[in-house]
Amino acid sequence: MVKAQIKIQQMLFMLLAITLFFVLVGIFLLVLGSSGLKKSAIELQEKNALMLVTRLANSPEFSCEESFGSNKINCVDADKVIMLIQNSKKYDGFWGASNIIIRKIYPEIDGEIVCSLSNYPNCNIIKVYSENNDGADVSNFVTLCRKESSGGEYYDKCELAKMSVSYELR
Amino acid sequence: MINKKGQKQKLRIFSAIRGKSGQEEFVGFGLIMIVVAVVLLIFVGFALKKNSNAELVESYEVESFIQTMLQYTTDCEDNLEFLSVQKLIFDCRENEKCLDGRNTCNVLNETLEKIIDASWNVETGSLVKGYELIVLDESVEMIKIQKGNSTNNYKGSKQIFSKGSNTIEIIFTTSY
Repeated sequence: MVKAQIKIQQMLFMLLAITLFFVLVGIFLLVLGSSGLKKSAIELQEKNALMLVTRLANSPEFSCEESFGSNKINCVDADKVIMLIQNSKKYDGFWGASNIIIRKIYPEIDGEIVCSLSNYPNCNIIKVYSENNDGADVSNFVTLCRKESSGGEYYDKCELAKMSVSYELR
Repeated sequence: MINKKGQKQKLRIFSAIRGKSGQEEFVGFGLIMIVVAVVLLIFVGFALKKNSNAELVESYEVESFIQTMLQYTTDCEDNLEFLSVQKLIFDCRENEKCLDGRNTCNVLNETLEKIIDASWNVETGSLVKGYELIVLDESVEMIKIQKGNSTNNYKGSKQIFSKGSNTIEIIFTTSY
């Protein structure tokens, strides 16, 4: 009788242990699986954000194309953009973004000076398009190039800037 | 009669031994289970920790930063134009001087330091804890700029470009 009880107890323990083991393995696999999913979701989000800013920076309205030597990647023609902001209303809904701002990072200028035709290029913020302040914000480094004059001659001046794009969350 | 008694005693001893070994088996099995459970929990813990850190890192920014930095126009002029950082690296390699007599390597170092300092804030409380820029000329260290702390959670990018047979590597890493 005692022996049989011990046997039953042994089996019970064994079953419990096996169940516990499989539950733990299951949890481990679930965590691994969800971490992979999360990682790919973040990567996709990053790619989309990069693509949005890169797409805009390399679009004909912004891109340097071949005005500053060879074709540059992520290069924004500041002279072109400063003229574009006069007509930004015509681009309502065209870029798929609610705000497009280019902020000069280097060389640094004291304070925040919004660019207009009267103060350009002595400014550091170009508000290309501004619809509202809501939505997610993505940004990326871009080269901000313009034609600068020195001693009566023109040369290419490229500076460091960050292009921020806000888009409405759906 | 004596034989029967002896046999009974022997049986008792055997069953006692068997019972003891059974208990030992239980203890051993229990110990194995505990070890397996602890190992699994450690794995789960690591997986969760790794996850929370990955969200903060945005590698594309680092990649774009190197590209943009290389295109920046410095105030060092040669006979033709104001040099970009990329051209200045090659001039520095050949120990050239700017038109105003400054050493190209000094200008390069100074410009790179200022650019990175303006672009990546490593002050206390900011997301980025530190950065490191290494410029390699044929795998030999040419420039190294470092600020802040280096952590295990980092993201970096490498860009290789060449002029003639010379290859320059730029490695930029940010710690979070």
